[in-house]
Amino acid sequence: MSWFRITLHRSAIGLPERTRGVLAALGLRRRSQTVFHPVSQDFAGMIMKVKELVRVQEVDAPKTDAEVKAERQFAPGFWVEKRGKEVMARRGEEDGI
Amino acid sequence: MSRALLRSVLELRTPVTRLPPSFLLPMRSTPARFFNQTTQIIEPAQTADADAIHATLTAARQQLAKQQQQQQQQQPQSTPKKPRLPTEPSLPTPTGPVSESVRTLLPILAAQPGHYITIHIHGQPYLVTEGDSVRLPFKMPGVEPGDVLRLDCAAAIGSRDFTLQGAPYVDGRLFECRAIVTGTEAEPMRVLIKKKRRCRRKTHIRSKHKYTIMRISELKIRSDVSDL
Repeated sequence: MSWFRITLHRSAIGLPERTRGVLAALGLRRRSQTVFHPVSQDFAGMIMKVKELVRVQEVDAPKTDAEVKAERQFAPGFWVEKRGKEVMARRGEEDGI
Repeated sequence: MSRALLRSVLELRTPVTRLPPSFLLPMRSTPARFFNQTTQIIEPAQTADADAIHATLTAARQQLAKQQQQQQQQQPQSTPKKPRLPTEPSLPTPTGPVSESVRTLLPILAAQPGHYITIHIHGQPYLVTEGDSVRLPFKMPGVEPGDVLRLDCAAAIGSRDFTLQGAPYVDGRLFECRAIVTGTEAEPMRVLIKKKRRCRRKTHIRSKHKYTIMRISELKIRSDVSDL
């Protein structure tokens, strides 16, 4: 089963009530918000109504909000190998303190 | 009533003033106790009302303790708090074989003296060599002086003549870079004065940022990549 990944790219300010209703039905409230919907005729028709405002991809599986956010974030680039406290404690044991 | 009290006090004080000076008086272990100093009287509260209140209070406390115990038994293993510091490599370890150009040129790069590395921390690049001290533009939460950090996101490693460029990052198996946290530094206090027109009121906004300092303690480049 494939899914639509729909991102609101352009704001719906100043657009007719009917267009804003379609966005609300898709669950899009703010720009660059991403929602996932199963590929079906209903959702395809809704996307067609707002095709000028959204960017659509077809994906295999939906993602949670946290996963979508993690896509945008950088890797920390470091990890803690040794804690300073542990090193000092080990040295203390060796010295017999 | 008060006048009578006052008079009695004055009468009692007079002989004290006629006493010889203090160094002529016999030594006393206890300090001189004056009339206006009285010991605190604590009345034993043994009335029936107090007893009843005490009993109800103790009962309530016992009940509360029982409830807390039950709650602890119901949730014996609360979800462990996720550590704020990463303890695992941030990038997945690549498994495929390294390219032929890396295989031939990396030993030459490793043989050269003096290397630099462009490490990325939270997506920000820092071009460093071994022994450099880096002041990060933020305070790294949770680290303490002496902690050893392994830096594993490198955009480029190079020497005077060669550069190994990553796409976007260099293979983590080809190098080892470590840093030791040496402390935290603070900038001088900043004062920002905010004022509106036609108003004498001024607001001073103070801020003082803290920065983590770390020293690049180790930069090793693998010279032998025959097993990759």
